[in-house]
Amino acid sequence: MADKSFNAFEMAQAQFDHVADMLKLDEGTRSLLRFNLREYHMSIPVRMDDGSVKVFRGFRVQHNDARGPAKGGIRFHPAETIDTVRALAMWMTWKTAVVDIPLGGGKGGVVCDPHHLSMREQEQICRGWVRNLARDVGPLRDVPAPDVMTSPQHMLWMLDEFETIRGERLPGFITGKPVGMGGSLGRTEATGYGVVFTIREALKELNIPASDTTMSVQGFGNVSQYAIELYQQVWGKVICVSSWDQADQTSYAFRKKNGVDLQELRSITDRFGGIDKAKAKELGYEVLPGDAWIEQDVDVLMPGALENQITAANVKRISNRVKIIAEGANGPTTPDADKVIKERGIFLIPDFLANAGGVTCSYFEQVQCNMNYFWEKDEVLGKLDTKMTSAFAAVSELAKKRKVYMRDAAYLIAIGRVAQACKERGWA
Amino acid sequence: MRRRQYSPHHGTLSRFDRNVRPAAGRFTYIGSGELGGKAHGLARVQGVLDAKLRDAFAPAITVAIPALTVITTDFFDAFMKQNGLKEVAYSESRDDVIAHAFQRASLPVQLVGDLRAIVEKTHLPLAVRSSSLLEDAMFEPFASVYGTKMVPNNQPDADSRFRGLADAIKYVYASTFFRSARNYMKATHHSTMDEKMAVIVQEVVGTRFGDRYYPHISGVLRSYNFYPVSHAQPEEGIVELALGLGRTIVDEGVSWAFSPAYPRIAPPFKSTQAMLKNSQTRFWAVNMGKPPAYDPICETEYMVTADLGDAEFDGALPLIASTYRPENDSVRIGIGEKGPRVIDFGPILKADMLPLTELLLQLKDVCEDMLDTMVEVEFAVRLARDGGAPAEFGFLQVRPMVVSDATVDIDPEELVGDGVLLSAETALGNGVLDDIRDVVYVRPDRFDIMRTSEVPDELERVNAALVEARRPYLLIGFGRWGTTDPLGGIPANFGQISGAKVIVESSLPNLPFVLSQGSHFFHNVTSFRILYFCVRHDEERGIDWPWLERQPVRFAGELVRHVQLSSPLRVKVDGRTGRGVVLHD
Repeated sequence: MADKSFNAFEMAQAQFDHVADMLKLDEGTRSLLRFNLREYHMSIPVRMDDGSVKVFRGFRVQHNDARGPAKGGIRFHPAETIDTVRALAMWMTWKTAVVDIPLGGGKGGVVCDPHHLSMREQEQICRGWVRNLARDVGPLRDVPAPDVMTSPQHMLWMLDEFETIRGERLPGFITGKPVGMGGSLGRTEATGYGVVFTIREALKELNIPASDTTMSVQGFGNVSQYAIELYQQVWGKVICVSSWDQADQTSYAFRKKNGVDLQELRSITDRFGGIDKAKAKELGYEVLPGDAWIEQDVDVLMPGALENQITAANVKRISNRVKIIAEGANGPTTPDADKVIKERGIFLIPDFLANAGGVTCSYFEQVQCNMNYFWEKDEVLGKLDTKMTSAFAAVSELAKKRKVYMRDAAYLIAIGRVAQACKERGWA
Repeated sequence: MRRRQYSPHHGTLSRFDRNVRPAAGRFTYIGSGELGGKAHGLARVQGVLDAKLRDAFAPAITVAIPALTVITTDFFDAFMKQNGLKEVAYSESRDDVIAHAFQRASLPVQLVGDLRAIVEKTHLPLAVRSSSLLEDAMFEPFASVYGTKMVPNNQPDADSRFRGLADAIKYVYASTFFRSARNYMKATHHSTMDEKMAVIVQEVVGTRFGDRYYPHISGVLRSYNFYPVSHAQPEEGIVELALGLGRTIVDEGVSWAFSPAYPRIAPPFKSTQAMLKNSQTRFWAVNMGKPPAYDPICETEYMVTADLGDAEFDGALPLIASTYRPENDSVRIGIGEKGPRVIDFGPILKADMLPLTELLLQLKDVCEDMLDTMVEVEFAVRLARDGGAPAEFGFLQVRPMVVSDATVDIDPEELVGDGVLLSAETALGNGVLDDIRDVVYVRPDRFDIMRTSEVPDELERVNAALVEARRPYLLIGFGRWGTTDPLGGIPANFGQISGAKVIVESSLPNLPFVLSQGSHFFHNVTSFRILYFCVRHDEERGIDWPWLERQPVRFAGELVRHVQLSSPLRVKVDGRTGRGVVLHD
């Protein structure tokens, strides 16, 4: 995010242009979808704990809502930029479309560093953000959710402010709330489990017996942990996991060739997903450089935490044994590396398909909130499995039918659906 | 304990595939655990059934195992572990407390997607049955110990159908730990900890008639007949048929029983009137209509009963029923005339309008050969829309039937005289017992037909203590043991009397009960070699109540008494003649 040479929005537009050519989209539709429908910029004044007033910059971008209310997270980050938010909003449009849920795409953010803000100050930012946008968001317009450095607590403050302004209870305004306060069971596990559902389908597609497979994972946050949990419960072994070390300001990879023990690793992990390397050594893990996760002799690679993890510089280190790359994180593969993966014939499950379990479950949360009737966890996860499996099948079938790369097939489906919705509404 | 490992990775089974529609004879599994006894039995016979019987009677009858999917035991383990259910499961909690705890738990995530696929592919009612590791293993009959639940699966939205199926699976899982199952385990010297449950999800054989869905015929075929009538021989077996779902036969003991070798010979009713009174008048169906009150811990949540008038309205009776003619006190085959209907399957058994008995005879041979033992087979038959042929014969389950081969001779003179506690000409089972020192009986002086529902609770306490002490006992009660109608006898389940080695049911002068002759627990009675006596008050031989009253009392409850004897009883039953006697010093 902090890399100034990299403009995420330009990359998102380039991806769109490529697919628009394949779809032979007309000029009007291209112009509509290359940019956001709406964009809000705001200043949020907050009286700090020391009595001073500080003004924070905030954004909300609604890329497209032709298929339903905009949906996307709110990020708190000191290096946030409007272009990043624009790109992410566009990707959200494609993500909701590829899993065929009736939502559009949006994203929001505030330039701030929560590490240096008290909870009261963070609450004031949340409430200020909502006060600025109360007329332009809502259950039927734009539904925010947690994202980088925002939590269920932030969502509750935002909901409370929104309901106070509107004078009614509207739990469907925001998702990612705590269970019991309008949150959905299964939400915590949804993204990680969703990735594994797609890996399962890919293994079937490639006719590889799942029980014999191994996987290496980048990152040890929520997505990775639940992906490892489900993968190891049913199928193969995860032999390597990388994580960020806050003290050393670098990442390490932790390897155990007969399979990592998830509970063991969780017990030595801090709240940011950092694994204690000394304790890991004591438990028999090999501690390797952070990017060693990519060169493991495994069947599946899952980049699960950060963008730009598979690059032109390291893509050649991917083992010949690797058959599948499942992008659990957003944008983990740079375009250069993507070309190499495509040429090598590795089966790629693109990010906005693989990690769509999170937004799908957010959609379920919204539905439950709007009904004020909450489902059992197995009902939520059953629906999630069905949605993810159907989305994978549609993308995979198109990829085979048109002999295109999986990422291109996913974009073709997603952009095609959004373009169609715009046309039917008479927007393009 | 004998345990067999039933791996699904063999035979004709295939892994469940969400993209393949279910079809009769299609047998799939989800998971990598074991199939459980019931599913394993079906897997073993499937190939032979296909080869030898599927089209042997076509086009009149085709034979198949209805489409089914087995959820293997590893999901049971995961469900218990992930939801932390061991504490409540192994507690002494009430059944409803356990069932509610299981309902609140979540099914494993690896399973739920496939369950959704099942309900999205079929809209037919589904039977969710147990298939436990211990169930149905040879000499270890767990028939009817665990729950079976029917779900209509006809709601318009898949979410409701999914919910119904998920609730039913949780109910079957919970039933592993219900009190009756726990008592049963103790009686058979098993531990609940040894038990693992696979679940069978199977399409229900039947036809939809408005708000009801049921098979025209349900039946049980057994290799050995302890009550051979007329020319029939025990080895020729016995068939019980009923209209509607099999619950009527298995749980209520109402059926039309006959030897498949002599299908024209009716059960030995005393008169046509007795036949009218004692043959089936109501039947069970799956409720396809207005959803009932939500009650996921009730086994019959989605089931309804209806009477013969409803079945006739449905058009289900042409091959099933005959008609009573009051003018000459006779029964005429079929329903061509007006009059009371009798479910005697006359058009099939007497007028040969469907080769069902020929099929059953062959089926008996095929299953006995395949399993190399005597068998008990459950089946259901769907007739054509007009109630006639062609028919579909759904093979539901097969399990071994245990028959003692010891020869016991009892002379008629032995049935009366000093030292006889009780005797009967209609005893069930075969063998001699010399180790019964405890007698538990419903007190004749306190017996009140309006209080029969209170008896099982007292019995359960006594039974639990005797099972714990490993003391087999003789049990005496009035009316039908295990009846669901409290006015018809003692509505106990088998778990509540599981330690009894000898069971006696008796009529009373003022209450001339129709005795069950063991039908409620038939499989348990035969498999555990329980000796079953039916004693009629109006026969010469009765029960020596004064002698019992003189014995040392261990427990005297409001309605039940337990006496402990200084020397053991000698119990003898001759399975060939049906004679039985209990002798004391």
